[in-house]
Amino acid sequence: MSKRVGIVGAAVTPFKAKWNEKTYYELAQMATREVVKDAKIPIKDVDAVFYGIYNDIFERTCIPEHALHGLIGMQNKFGTRVSTGGATGAYTISAAHAYLAAGRFKTALVLGVEKCTDCFDFMSMSATPEVIKSIGWSGDSFFEQRLGWTAADSYAEVVLAYMDEHPKDLKPRVTAKISSLLSQYAKTNKYAQRQFDQVTPEEVMNSRLVVYPFKELEICVYTEGAAALILAEEETAKAISKNTGKPIVWITGLGEANEHSFAGKKQKVMPRIMSDYLASHQAYKMSGIKNPRKSIDIVELHDAFVHQLEITMAEFDLVPRGNADALIDDGLMLPGGEYLVNPCGGLIYSGHAVGASNIMSAWSARNELIKRKKKTAIVHGTGSTIAQYTAVCILEHD
Amino acid sequence: MAKKTEKLIPAEYIPDVGSHVLTIDKKKYLIANDAMYTFYQRSKGEFSDFFLGLRDDKKILGCKCPKCGLVRCPPFLTHCPDCDFAATKLVELGQVGTMLCTPPITYFANSLFLKMAPYGRGRVVLEGADTALAVNVYTTTGILAPGIIKKGTKVKVVFRDDRNGEISDIFCVPASELTKAQVAKKGLLSSQINWEAAVEPTMKKATAAEQEIYKKALKEIKSVIKLMNETERARKDIMGWKRDIQVKTTGGEFAIIINNGDIKLEEKKLTKPDFIMVAKSPKTLADGLAYRGAITDSVIMKRLWISKNMEFTTIFKLDRMARSVARSKK
Repeated sequence: MSKRVGIVGAAVTPFKAKWNEKTYYELAQMATREVVKDAKIPIKDVDAVFYGIYNDIFERTCIPEHALHGLIGMQNKFGTRVSTGGATGAYTISAAHAYLAAGRFKTALVLGVEKCTDCFDFMSMSATPEVIKSIGWSGDSFFEQRLGWTAADSYAEVVLAYMDEHPKDLKPRVTAKISSLLSQYAKTNKYAQRQFDQVTPEEVMNSRLVVYPFKELEICVYTEGAAALILAEEETAKAISKNTGKPIVWITGLGEANEHSFAGKKQKVMPRIMSDYLASHQAYKMSGIKNPRKSIDIVELHDAFVHQLEITMAEFDLVPRGNADALIDDGLMLPGGEYLVNPCGGLIYSGHAVGASNIMSAWSARNELIKRKKKTAIVHGTGSTIAQYTAVCILEHD
Repeated sequence: MAKKTEKLIPAEYIPDVGSHVLTIDKKKYLIANDAMYTFYQRSKGEFSDFFLGLRDDKKILGCKCPKCGLVRCPPFLTHCPDCDFAATKLVELGQVGTMLCTPPITYFANSLFLKMAPYGRGRVVLEGADTALAVNVYTTTGILAPGIIKKGTKVKVVFRDDRNGEISDIFCVPASELTKAQVAKKGLLSSQINWEAAVEPTMKKATAAEQEIYKKALKEIKSVIKLMNETERARKDIMGWKRDIQVKTTGGEFAIIINNGDIKLEEKKLTKPDFIMVAKSPKTLADGLAYRGAITDSVIMKRLWISKNMEFTTIFKLDRMARSVARSKK
């Protein structure tokens, strides 16, 4: 029988558009210093580390974690890296959970870090086109990269396919309202990249098209930062919790699924994010959730794009597919509604430091469960071309 | 075939060796220009027939599973994983197809594709295929705007005249924009299509009322540009950028000069502008600069014409400056 695993410590660095003051070495160590402080344990008591780092090109080195191992005090211990695109952080949590549940370790550090805006385009004298280019190397190298594949246009393909099926859903008025709402949430997240960038729905509607149908204020931002969790198996978790006085947030469900990367008959179903559907329902089953609409209180969802947030919520069965606009129109995610969605501001306002993002989401979900005395949260990561990868965790606070 | 003089990395992409010091909170940080590059001689392996077909024979191949009959294009595998890895066979496909879903349009491209923007990238199911091939989609009628190509749109494959044996050797245009003979032609070349030339719109003489509108808009544009110059965040948006832009609208014309963090308006005609903007209404530009709607969207919706698509980069910078001024007011 597998062991119960819980989160007993969590920390993030400030998420910033650019950290000229620090390298990814220091960002990783900052998050580690803070997370062991939160769990009130010395680093020597941590048995293993699971690194979430997405893109070697961002860090400007292959196996970027190799230099981190000693400088976070984990020398001579287990260390492995997960890299699954945007879903890196959530998959890293899943990997650490598996080792702890199997009894291999008593404690594990989950450490996500990314340094993306060192990439710089000397033609336009700005970072963003080069950051997009670096991500562009993630597209299929034989059949897609040379067509100008980007993360945004591959997600836009899925969103437009959904809109082909449901032309009355994902209305600009609603996506603008969601973006505006998330910007308000970011105000209380002192680590958020855009803590003081509150926008009105009108501003969102007026922002420029970047990749049709996405407007500038409906897209996550590139971020540099790190996030960390301490996970522990049940007995160790209870001992740590007793020492810190902070409750354990248990990981009760996990689900992962990766779809086809090609589309058409018997391939990826373009209007769906089946990976979100399969992973979430696998996680519900593992944690015994029969009716997610009743059970889920808090959602920390990887909102690469507002439109995708809506589709993902539908794939989670938290809103009807084809009427995801009910999130706003029926008030499901408005303050006082059924779900608290992305209270950290999401990746659009808190920031998207890819390998660290979903770990930051778990940090936020843990904080909110404890602070609001809520029971259940879902944490999500999505990534790769055409929303191919998903990993989901269910967190429960007893 | 590719021109022999063409380089894998164009010279203009390569920065000089250099560094500078950035001071933050009175502490100095060293910032160095850097690159990480690797060259390849990579075989197309099992995909060689497909890519040679594109390059040499102007034909498109798919692969058919003898058991389930599924025809995959591109032929991205040699054995069908759905049928116990039965060996597939290459088959030639038609050069007309339908869009699997509405394609996205990239206006803000990554640094490798700035020259190509705006472009669509969608998936076409070719005649005889079951799966979809990723392709660039264009219109022959100018800038690709939403609504021109949608799910189910019939499209024709077009071969570039200069082919390298890459997926970018082909692209698609709506079949409705071509003649029947062009649609039926196997191996239709880009040079055999009548691409609408970029013709600068002409301006009619302004009425007295339009002159008043122009004066009012010009006053506002001057005031916004002054504000942009006074806003640190907005100045940062055009740091390292230089452009001389001639703006023509009903009622008059003027120049916008961008110079490494500075922006100014001059009521004059430039002899050698980097590019020209033409807007029927001067309010279009005034609204964009004052953050009442994006200038990018005005170009896409054909309210504002630019002489070079490459200059979308400058348009984005102007939009960003408008947002920076709005943010600084909060």
